Amino acid sequence: MFFRVIDKVRLPDLVRGLATEYEVIAPVEKDGRFVYAPLEDPGLLRLDYDTTLLPPKKWFFPAEETLMRFRVADNEVLNDEVAVAPRVLFGLHPCDINALLLMDNVFTGKYPDPYYMRRREKTLLIGVSCTPSDTCFCNVWDTNEVHWGFDVFLTDMGDRYFASCRTVKGAEIIDRFVENRAVIDEDTREFQSVVHDFKDAFHRDVDTTQLPVLLDAKFDSPIWDEFGEKCLSCGACSMVCPTCYCFDVHDRLDPDQKSGVRARTWDSCQFKEFAAVAHGQNFRDSRASRVKYRYYHKQWGYLSKFERVLCVGCGRCARACPAGINPVNVIAALQTGEVR
Amino acid sequence: MAPRVAIIGLASDFGCQVQITNMEDHLLDVLGLMDLVYWQLASSGHLPDEYDVAVIEGAVTTAGHVETLRTVRETAGVVIAIGSCAVTGGIPALAGTGEYDARYGAVYGDGVAVARGRQSPLPVSSVIEVDYHVPGCPIDPAEFVSVLSRAIMGLKDDVSEDPMCAICKTQENVCFLDRGRACLGLVTRTGCTAKCVSLGRPCTGCRGISSEANIPAARVVYADKGLDPLELDRLFDLYNAAREVVV
Repeated sequence: MFFRVIDKVRLPDLVRGLATEYEVIAPVEKDGRFVYAPLEDPGLLRLDYDTTLLPPKKWFFPAEETLMRFRVADNEVLNDEVAVAPRVLFGLHPCDINALLLMDNVFTGKYPDPYYMRRREKTLLIGVSCTPSDTCFCNVWDTNEVHWGFDVFLTDMGDRYFASCRTVKGAEIIDRFVENRAVIDEDTREFQSVVHDFKDAFHRDVDTTQLPVLLDAKFDSPIWDEFGEKCLSCGACSMVCPTCYCFDVHDRLDPDQKSGVRARTWDSCQFKEFAAVAHGQNFRDSRASRVKYRYYHKQWGYLSKFERVLCVGCGRCARACPAGINPVNVIAALQTGEVR
Repeated sequence: MAPRVAIIGLASDFGCQVQITNMEDHLLDVLGLMDLVYWQLASSGHLPDEYDVAVIEGAVTTAGHVETLRTVRETAGVVIAIGSCAVTGGIPALAGTGEYDARYGAVYGDGVAVARGRQSPLPVSSVIEVDYHVPGCPIDPAEFVSVLSRAIMGLKDDVSEDPMCAICKTQENVCFLDRGRACLGLVTRTGCTAKCVSLGRPCTGCRGISSEANIPAARVVYADKGLDPLELDRLFDLYNAAREVVV
């Protein structure tokens, strides 16, 4: 790793410099909340954002995308290319960078997904330190710290940023686009103190001791029925989740029925059709079973395969679920047997 | 042989039939797929005795409509209901929420000559079996074409039954409920990309109540958000007055 210090007042230079060669995607305000959007003007950048409505996954795995065009007459694939311009995702919080690493396990592992990979390869990630919001619980999974997976990480030190350059490309863009200086001992000392304070600021207390054992022990618990009664089966949780990767595939014909597109859309395990199969069978017919298996997958199934839970504590589901179902209160219900 | 298609209007403002004419870019492509034997809005001819696909717009508001639908069902191999009026009873069904005859009289007088055989408005599916649905007020022409294509090719109806919230989230809308405003998205059938919410209006439920809707849970959500839980039911009346959902 390679370190630099950037004066805060110089940050717009970095954004403007990047914009000459990359599409810059960054948090901007929308109706009082925040979204990752193409940054038209550096003045609109909001690094003080709490969280975004949708996580950065949409820039790699869009909510809807065309996988290919095909011709009906001979089933010929007409076009399955992904056109991707060089891009920078600017201002990611540690949880969201950690979430992309979890997505990578799925999309770049045993069965690499060319659509995701193309975008991932063409995109630089610049992280920025954050402050805890009411709904964050990243400290529970240690995802408030990030050690790799970014090109540059900017730690806010008041009047300056401590820039950790994790990749050669990251070091290059810092050197090329913004005035910076070498790190001196005083910077390193302050960096350590800032990071220490930052970690101390997160104190959401969720007992995750032996969570997989607890999940298995509570498999038949009535709490799942109670959550099932509350759940709207609306799928909002899956859409806003930075680690939910399930999708559906539809073939859609053009109006002339001579050609069509194969489209991929985000899916949710909370939809009744999610586990419906031929002959009208459905493995997850009840709401209660769908809520239950969401948690079994995230906190147990994925863990057993990749040694991490499939949650980074970003708190988006806690904000988005109309019924107030989220990992914090589900784990609490597992512990106490009571749904609050 | 191209399937013979008849487009029939019951009680509606013909807005959904107009939507079909609005798809200028694709209208000729679509017309090329079929032999359009009757289109109430666009022709002065009569409904022929034979056709393969019937597209029905509008709510059932008279005994004559009931009779028409029975004939349609006997004649057509495939019946497609388009628009809120046909799919849920839509806005016409509002008339049935109170004293129907008194309301009717207040507007049209007591003369028997007006709308002979009138009845409290109902969706098409309450009279005959419907094979395909294109919900919405008005319909989305692209969705209509997609459903018509499916019908012609013999593919099953794939109208999604999930509630609207998921697609609304993908549009990065700020939730109306979180702003203390009533919205029906959490119980309304998805499929419109949450157009109204994206344009700054809460969902009014024009696509119908999702068969997957958890109505009791939605009332709890309303209460948690500081809204009257019964507001949910009042809002349903606009497009879903003929609902069978039990309170």
